[in-house]
Amino acid sequence: MSVRALSVLPAVLTARREDRDKQTELENEVIALFEEFRTPLLRYSLSFGLAIEDAEEVIQEVFLSLFEHLQRDKPRHNLRSWLFRVAHNLGLKRRYRVRRELNTLDATAVENFDTDPAPNPEDQLVSRQIQQRIRTIVQALPEQDRRCISLRAEGLRYREIAEVLDMSLGAVSLSLTRSLARIERVTRR
Amino acid sequence: MSFQESHLTDQQLLQELDGEISEREKKQVQGHLNACWQCRTRQKDIEASISSFVESREQEFASALPPIAGPRALLKARIAQMRTESDKRSHRLSLFRRTIGAAAAVFIALAIGVLFISYARQQNILRQRAPVVSLPNSTITPGATVMMTQQQVCMQTNTKNKAVPFALQRRVFDEYGIKSATPQLYEVDYLVTPALGGADDIRNLWPQSYSAVWNAQVKDELEDRLRQLVCGGSLTLAEAQRDIAGDWIGAYKKYFRTDKPRPVSMAR
Repeated sequence: MSVRALSVLPAVLTARREDRDKQTELENEVIALFEEFRTPLLRYSLSFGLAIEDAEEVIQEVFLSLFEHLQRDKPRHNLRSWLFRVAHNLGLKRRYRVRRELNTLDATAVENFDTDPAPNPEDQLVSRQIQQRIRTIVQALPEQDRRCISLRAEGLRYREIAEVLDMSLGAVSLSLTRSLARIERVTRR
Repeated sequence: MSFQESHLTDQQLLQELDGEISEREKKQVQGHLNACWQCRTRQKDIEASISSFVESREQEFASALPPIAGPRALLKARIAQMRTESDKRSHRLSLFRRTIGAAAAVFIALAIGVLFISYARQQNILRQRAPVVSLPNSTITPGATVMMTQQQVCMQTNTKNKAVPFALQRRVFDEYGIKSATPQLYEVDYLVTPALGGADDIRNLWPQSYSAVWNAQVKDELEDRLRQLVCGGSLTLAEAQRDIAGDWIGAYKKYFRTDKPRPVSMAR
């Protein structure tokens, strides 16, 4: 009996070592993905009104979930969509929890802004003003539209955006068109 | 293409820019763009909006984002912690599984033991209740033979008994008043063996207890001996049939000159 146990021991140790190697490999993969996606995910989280420290914490949770996800041999096709979807859900949760005041403008103020644009002299100062206006307009967009255009700006395809935000392809396309039309009204001279 | 064809929508123009136009629309949209300066200009405007948006976004985030090094180190530390925790958990889990496994094995062994004991007890009760039959009831089983000469009997090469059909076995048990639960305690045997011209007939079949001292194996030896005598010419077939059908135990005692059945190896 004890002889048999001894003969099994090397196999057990090898299995453990293999498991440890696999875990280290996963860890490296997760860190590599973190380096690639931390900034886009952070920008996305910030774009729906999370404070920077909350957004950073959300991203940490996203990558810990990713580690667990990969540990369990779950499907790894299109991890980019997966990352944004999890960031989206965890961001919502976090926002609900901290109940921070959203950094949005009053809708009526935006309306005035929109219909009564200031004159646009052609110099750099004004270009900076335009950018400020665009930001204001974007922050005043309906939340779903803001998310759509933020995800598109991070390079996601329509299909991926639809997956992250749980909407149809047509709705994604319409939302982007709508948002760009609003931005255009600010930029058009 | 007709010049009256309507212009493209902003949505189509954006989809075309993003490479998201459907295969079905692609040709028509691109054809229209080639032909229509207005739509191309409109598409440029949309692209300009995209550029403005991207610029404003870049400017917004250029200074705001802290460097990655700190968060990366934090993530590494957390993953390491998670790994040690999951190691501990899996160790505990395997211990738990082994305990459960051992408990299940003990339980199954106990269950099998209990079942076996109750089965054995039941069998014992059945056996005690079941009548031991070593001699046939002569009114139910008088014995029956087929018309065969001694020569025909001795020319048979296969002297092995034919298996008795299950339904016929049932009828034999019914006649002897043996409950259907206990047939495994009996062999339904030919009284006059077919090797001695016995018939395939219910009057020639009877249930013989395996547990009896004078059991089917003992009777088989008698049958072999009688066949040797008949075919050797020292006994007539009719006499052999009469002896075995009348009182086979008496015949055994007579032909083997013994009061008790002999051990099987000695007789053969």
